[in-house]
Amino acid sequence: MATHHRQNAAGRRKVQVSYVIRDEVEKYNRNGVNALQLDPALNRLFTAGRDSIIRIWSVYQHKQDPYIASMEHHTDWVNDIVLCCNGKTLISASSDTTVKVWNAHKGFCMSTLRTHKDYVKALAYAKDKELVASAGLDRQIFLWDVNTLTALTASNNTVTTSSLSGNKDSIYSLAMNQMGTVIVSGSTEKVLRVWDPRTCAKLMKLKGHTDNVKSLLLNRDGTQCLSGSSDGTIRLWSLGQQRCIATYRVHDEGVWALQVNEAFTHVYSGGRDKKIYCTDLRNPDIRVLICEEKAPVLKMELDRSADPPPAIWVSTTKSSVNKWSLKGMHNFRSSGEYDNDCSTPLTPLCTQPEQVIKGNLFELCLILKEVPVLSTVWLDCLFFPQACKGEDLGKVEFDEEIKKRFKMVYVPNWFSVDLKTGMLTITLDESDCFAAWVSAKDAGFSSSDGSDPKLNLGGLLLQALLEFWPRTRINPMDEEENEWVIDITVDVSITILTFQ
Amino acid sequence: MPVVQGDTVVATLGSPIKKNRLSLRFFHKKETKRALDFSEPAPDEPKTGEPVDSCDQVVPCPPSPSLLLSQEKKENLLPFIGFNNLGNTCYLNSVLQVLYHCPGLREGIKKLHSLCKNKEKAKDESEKAEESAPPHIDLLCSFMSLITSVEELQSSFLLNPDGFTEGDLATPPRKILNTLRSLNPMYEGYLQHDAQEVLQCILGYLHEACDTIKKEQELEKGKHAVSELNLENPKTSTEEEGQVNGKRKSDTEAGNAKKKPKSVPSKAPEGEKESGSTVQTHPKRKCSTDSLIESAQGKDGGGKTAKETDGKRKKRAKLGWLRPSKKQPSIFSKFRSVGRVSSTTGKDRGKEEMEKPEENVEDSKEITLDTKAEEEAPKTDGTKEDHSRVWISVNIIIPSLVLRDHLFQGQLVLRTRCLECESFTERREGFQDISVPVLEENPPSPEELSEISPDPKPELKTLNWAIGQFASVEHIFGEDKYFCETCHHYTEAERSLLFDKTPEIITIHLKRFSANALDLDLYAGLSKVNTPLQTPLTLCLDEWCTRRSAKGHTYELFAVVMHSGVTISSGHYTAFVRMSHLQDAKLWTSGDQRRKEVESEEQTEKRVKEEAPDYDDGDVAFSRAQTGGAMAKTRSKKASEGVGLLGGQRSLSACELKQDNNSKATTDGTKRRKTLGSAAQSIETGLKKPPDSQEATEMQTANEKASESHALGRLMEYEGKWMLFDDSEVRMFDEEEFLRACSPETASSSTPYLLFYRRTPKQ
Repeated sequence: MATHHRQNAAGRRKVQVSYVIRDEVEKYNRNGVNALQLDPALNRLFTAGRDSIIRIWSVYQHKQDPYIASMEHHTDWVNDIVLCCNGKTLISASSDTTVKVWNAHKGFCMSTLRTHKDYVKALAYAKDKELVASAGLDRQIFLWDVNTLTALTASNNTVTTSSLSGNKDSIYSLAMNQMGTVIVSGSTEKVLRVWDPRTCAKLMKLKGHTDNVKSLLLNRDGTQCLSGSSDGTIRLWSLGQQRCIATYRVHDEGVWALQVNEAFTHVYSGGRDKKIYCTDLRNPDIRVLICEEKAPVLKMELDRSADPPPAIWVSTTKSSVNKWSLKGMHNFRSSGEYDNDCSTPLTPLCTQPEQVIKGNLFELCLILKEVPVLSTVWLDCLFFPQACKGEDLGKVEFDEEIKKRFKMVYVPNWFSVDLKTGMLTITLDESDCFAAWVSAKDAGFSSSDGSDPKLNLGGLLLQALLEFWPRTRINPMDEEENEWVIDITVDVSITILTFQ
Repeated sequence: MPVVQGDTVVATLGSPIKKNRLSLRFFHKKETKRALDFSEPAPDEPKTGEPVDSCDQVVPCPPSPSLLLSQEKKENLLPFIGFNNLGNTCYLNSVLQVLYHCPGLREGIKKLHSLCKNKEKAKDESEKAEESAPPHIDLLCSFMSLITSVEELQSSFLLNPDGFTEGDLATPPRKILNTLRSLNPMYEGYLQHDAQEVLQCILGYLHEACDTIKKEQELEKGKHAVSELNLENPKTSTEEEGQVNGKRKSDTEAGNAKKKPKSVPSKAPEGEKESGSTVQTHPKRKCSTDSLIESAQGKDGGGKTAKETDGKRKKRAKLGWLRPSKKQPSIFSKFRSVGRVSSTTGKDRGKEEMEKPEENVEDSKEITLDTKAEEEAPKTDGTKEDHSRVWISVNIIIPSLVLRDHLFQGQLVLRTRCLECESFTERREGFQDISVPVLEENPPSPEELSEISPDPKPELKTLNWAIGQFASVEHIFGEDKYFCETCHHYTEAERSLLFDKTPEIITIHLKRFSANALDLDLYAGLSKVNTPLQTPLTLCLDEWCTRRSAKGHTYELFAVVMHSGVTISSGHYTAFVRMSHLQDAKLWTSGDQRRKEVESEEQTEKRVKEEAPDYDDGDVAFSRAQTGGAMAKTRSKKASEGVGLLGGQRSLSACELKQDNNSKATTDGTKRRKTLGSAAQSIETGLKKPPDSQEATEMQTANEKASESHALGRLMEYEGKWMLFDDSEVRMFDEEEFLRACSPETASSSTPYLLFYRRTPKQ
């Protein structure tokens, strides 16, 4: 398997080189999917992966391979995406603290907004005004005019934004009504804060939730708000009355995702308990268990091609994305077979998803966190590609294989590994990268003359990586921030072991 | 010697200033004594110069002191025993009072102690001296002796209430103080200490003692033979106790004072000065030391094998001094638990918030440290329990051995929840008290208050609020995110503290001392927060518990340690205790006492002989003073002058004075100390039994039996009443009065510092 490489150095006046070991084309989600967006015009689905990649899928069921393209530029979880300008532009928010603007049709990154200081967790979009808001753990909310963003060029890349201040805690959810008159944020402060994005004036603070607010929805004119919280409740708020007008307790655990029909009468909710319910807002006793996922639900997207919605897309902390049919809902409604007794467990409407976008089955296990093991495995991988190449390990026990290949070489930690994206990312840090010296013999090299030179592992690795680098450029924008970012694209082929 | 006697009187009389009402009474009723109290040179000089018998003239000792007491006075006396202040020991006194009245603790200590004693008896006493006796056993024994003396004093008062004047109803916690000092050199000297620390310290040692005894029990049984563990010491202590109880303040003081110098071999000059005496008033210290030592040598306060004890004590003291005791709480530790003066604004705020997690972690660490020993102990206990189940008696022992676990120790669970995936990890740790703030760390900004949605007005903080703050959720965010094992990512997290197991008695420590960053001086820098905190009489912990318990989490207030003063290093501790379980009180009959007396007398004599030459260190001069009156004379002068200046303790009065009289007649030191009072005195106290007062005592015994039930009935009147223990002084408070005393309206410098709640039995 070929290994792709992407170097990204970040950090405060500290040189860091990290590269990801992955397939050249990562066709499947490697990790949970944080956000979904449907483009009804082109029948495309956008998924924002925790593997840092935004993927475009075809939702035509008959198609053999739904994968269309990947949009890769983020270096950390993509937390939220919104599709603007009738599907032409996609805006993404990531844990790498950036907001990126993409050409959704062609799949390239148009610009990167680096105003946030911490993970950007949520985006909100006002369709009528082409206004996007971004918010994150740095407690800041920034407002972006999409038309300005798309007009950015390499030479004219300064954006002015307005920000909404007043949040006291990390923001996890954000919503703006379609008309762009009201914006609501949900945070660990447990209150909803409401602003007017036109004047950036604080409007109100809504108290009631007892835990983090993870999902928010506003109706079209911004008079009603739905919130889903980690306290397990869904609340309906009247912004006019500045109060909670209903509390729905349909979930056993935190509510992480909400969707609502156009008429704002039925709420679809999912969360940590893996269940997806549809609840009638006017009569909370009327609720339907649509399905049960295999992992906590991170995001849902209604297929609004008809009313009532015929299907719902659901993403979870697992890598696959499922489409569940809602057609049975109609029968429920007409037959009156509601569940009026909340105590009895409901039988789900669907047991099988209508469509599945498969994730990568290969999910790395974290035994690799143990560095001594890693050191030697990686030594093999890095320095003996030939030995590994073409070696089909088949279905071997991971542990046994590790044991077999395990050579105890005591070396200082000279790199770090993380799996946050679901792919192995190896980071060489300036401070300890060159700390590891081993004798060639220990490392498994044999020299012809029988001498045993000392080798610096970090040095060798960097050499191997950079040998093939065609160009190195320093990003001028980063220089301003006193950050030295090397953005390198190169094609190095290193064969690695994969464990299945 | 007469010289010394006179000194003793002055020294022990303590502070007449403290309470005018009392002093006045002295003026009226005991003119001669008053003269001794206040007129500096005059009473001293005649005494010092006069021959032995002159003393009898000085004090016209009434045959029955009850005649002296007016009816009014008797009514004022409460059948509860105060503790004399031994020089800034109010921190200890208040804590000891609470512990003494702590439901269940006394019984536990007694059980433990009897175990400890039994073992001793079984053991060959000559075998191996007490070298290996664990020091914490000492503490158990001294605690036991304190309990015994309090109980004896109480019962003798109850049986014969007429025989007591107000100052009599107090006993000096000298032995326990000495033990504490030898265990933890921090308590050497006369510095003010923190009541919470001393509480932790005592509980810690008691627990250690529990463990030791338990282990020994098992060991002994396993061997079917005499235990290898040498607990000579506990027995010695028991005997000492007997005597301590049998005598009274003066005896005890003297007895202990004698030991004390040894436990403080050669310290800093200050220590040397202080080491001689544990008497209250400082300028008097030297004088009183003289007298005390002398009397100690003449007659022994307790213990039998003085040499051995001394050697051991010295050793221990040295060891204690040298080794950096892990458990030793220090004033620095205050910094970790102190309430924070929140002067941070704007920029700093973020920083402070980021520090907060650390602070909390440290707090919890502190708890862990404190309980380390205990945590380890239960582990071994667990295994041993199984192992020793064979031995029936072990099963009987266990309830008392885990005494402190059940009483004071609960378990907290530190729960860290990832905000991303909302899964959490837990860490459990034991706790003995919880430290709660009295002030909000970040007072809401005006901007915040003027927000559109109405914020609740800042109101008086309640204890529930404070516990909420203690258990409050801490947000892990920003640069130092939490690595979530489920997400494989750095995420924000919330950390909360919950009660997993709640103890029978929950101790709440109000963080009233705040470190002022501007002040570099550690001691002066700890200023006190006098902000009132509403203290409810009942407390429900359900809100912060991980699960419902069959016993419930409802608590009622039973004791409060108050602190008055403005800094940690100055001020005064008092204790409010709500009387309960008085029906369990046991009266000590004079028969018991007599037996003890006989026993102890023998020992004392022996001991005295052995101990007398043992005096060294800084006390040499004092011993000399014994013979040469001149030195003492001048000293006594100084000392008496000091009384008025320093105040101190008013308590040791009548008894001391009488002792003075009698001592003249008894050249033998032992006897002098023993025959503390006249016949009347001995009746009155019921604790002394000099040969000449034997008949009286017998009479008393008969009376006792008749009046025993009556006495207990009298005691029962106080059930449910609040008592204020201000060192040796005890006052009764109505519940309303009490509430007013610690309520927020009376915003004074006297504020509750430690709150003790005990579990309310479920109805």
